[in-house]
Amino acid sequence: MSMLLEVNGVSVTFDGFRAINNLSINFAPAELRAIIGPNGAGKTTFMDIVTGKTKPDEGSVVWGEKNISLLGLSESQIARVGIGRKFQKPTVFEAQSVRQNLAMALKTPRGPLAVLMHKKTKKNAERIEAVAEQIGLYDSMTSTAGALSHGQKQWLEIGMLLAQQPRLMLVDEPAAGMTPDEREKTTNILKAAAKTTAVVVVEHDMDFVRRLDCKVTVLHEGAVLAEGSLDYVTSNQTVIDVYLGRAHA
Amino acid sequence: MRKTFLMQNPSVLWFISLLAVFTIAVTLMSEATGVSLISTSFIKTLGKTLCLCLVAIAMDVVWGYCGILSLGHFAFFGIGGYAIGMWLMYARTETIVAQSLASQPIPPTSQEISDAIGNQIFGVVGSSEFPMIWAFADNLFLQLLMVVLVPGLLALVFGWLAFRSRVTGVYLSILTQAMTLALALYLFQNDSGLRGNNGLSGLQNIPGFEDTSQATISIVFFMASALALGAGYVFFAWIVSGKMGSVVKGIRDNEARVRFLGYHVESYKLFIFTTTAVVAAISGALYYPQAGIINPGEIAPIASIYLAVWVAIGGRGRLYGAVIGAAFVSLLSSWFTGGGAPDINLGFYTIQWTDWWLVLLGLSFVAVTLFFPKGIGGLFDYLVRKQP
Repeated sequence: MSMLLEVNGVSVTFDGFRAINNLSINFAPAELRAIIGPNGAGKTTFMDIVTGKTKPDEGSVVWGEKNISLLGLSESQIARVGIGRKFQKPTVFEAQSVRQNLAMALKTPRGPLAVLMHKKTKKNAERIEAVAEQIGLYDSMTSTAGALSHGQKQWLEIGMLLAQQPRLMLVDEPAAGMTPDEREKTTNILKAAAKTTAVVVVEHDMDFVRRLDCKVTVLHEGAVLAEGSLDYVTSNQTVIDVYLGRAHA
Repeated sequence: MRKTFLMQNPSVLWFISLLAVFTIAVTLMSEATGVSLISTSFIKTLGKTLCLCLVAIAMDVVWGYCGILSLGHFAFFGIGGYAIGMWLMYARTETIVAQSLASQPIPPTSQEISDAIGNQIFGVVGSSEFPMIWAFADNLFLQLLMVVLVPGLLALVFGWLAFRSRVTGVYLSILTQAMTLALALYLFQNDSGLRGNNGLSGLQNIPGFEDTSQATISIVFFMASALALGAGYVFFAWIVSGKMGSVVKGIRDNEARVRFLGYHVESYKLFIFTTTAVVAAISGALYYPQAGIINPGEIAPIASIYLAVWVAIGGRGRLYGAVIGAAFVSLLSSWFTGGGAPDINLGFYTIQWTDWWLVLLGLSFVAVTLFFPKGIGGLFDYLVRKQP
């Protein structure tokens, strides 16, 4: 079965600390996956490696049908092949309007000349409006992103991710700071996106992971500890010892 | 398209209208029309101020919009001045030499003419040889090309090396300042080929227009400067509006995020850095014929720092703010340093503004940064908000 992203035997060391230790993990073209693990398990470092922010010491990261190695690409090239990322702390462009934020993320040519000569089209406007509707910010299109509440900023960043139309979405703690209703909506959006896209969610909140109802990968000390359904991994004794056990202690 | 652009940016329309009214009013009151309400020397000051406003806009785009605090844009301004100065000086010296040699019984050879020009220009630094960099100085068209190509290429190479290595923030500022300092120190040398600390002079005399009065020449340059400022304003307003402006402001606020959206940040920075450098050079090429002289002191790092101060006081991230800052502070500066401001006698100490102006400027800069981060231009926000 062909995989969208194959991470094989990747290791990375920061000042002698092994953040990622011989990690191997694969994602199918359309699936929803949750990654859990205690602090320092290497969840964020894993995302940094896939998105090109951090270069691993060894191992391979292979993408798509043509088996392109992502290790030789820059962050912007990786984003252009179809990997989108949502950060843990919502990072939207606060000085600009919701519409401008979405327009910047919208999948259009990314070169300086194309951007300089860019003309607003009806089709693009409709795409932006569709995303805004989906994330519930249709009525706040003209307000500056800085004026949004924390939850709305989370939404906007999810919207930017959707507008990018990536083939793989890396979503870091999407539910942080959201009300139960908002979580419900986030779950639905991510589940809908996962029908056509690979969606990888890093999350601390077990209730949220349970709601996602998907395959779960447990990371510990930079490697995969267990993989399977949430019930399977939570009943795994090692997982209980390193993660759940500590959390409930 | 043009109409919608202007409608979306009413400040551009306002600015162009005010600039046009100002230019016509000044022209009508100048000595060139015989009204003589404004002296020729003040026309030159106004014309120079318009050029400073243009370079300030370029600085605002690179710093206020793109977040690159360049301390080198006045160096590009100076390079533009030197490039045009070379032609002005060469062509004028050529005319003078031709006249003096014409009275001789035997007509001079072209080599003799060339030597005589070289002697006239470089005698002051003990040389008569034309350095390589003067290769195009006899041709106005080629030398005008140099006005944009030399600073453009310098900015392109420098920017490529700096941005590619992801040098940002204060480190980039230091790097641009080092470039400026290196250039100034190089030009100070007698064998730099640009007459060392003498610089290029007599630039107010335009070859081919020896019989035209300075009153007329000054008003022509004043109008050309106004035209350049207007065109530059519209050009940059177009760049910073729309999607390009969105991406550029995004880079200023969160470079990494823009990168993860798939934009090649370095290309955008390079585009902005180089474009603004070229516009800075064009303003320099218009400024120095009005100033009459350029020397390496003009390029010293302090000039580029002043540029940043003007933009900060006028208001970063808005083009008219840069214009207000440059015009206000530079005119005020000439008033204070030119002895226009009366000394203040405190009894025990007399404040002489020629000495204390810099202290006042420094304090205002600190005050603006701390209390009015939007600068003078921020007042317009306040006024607009007050309207019903």
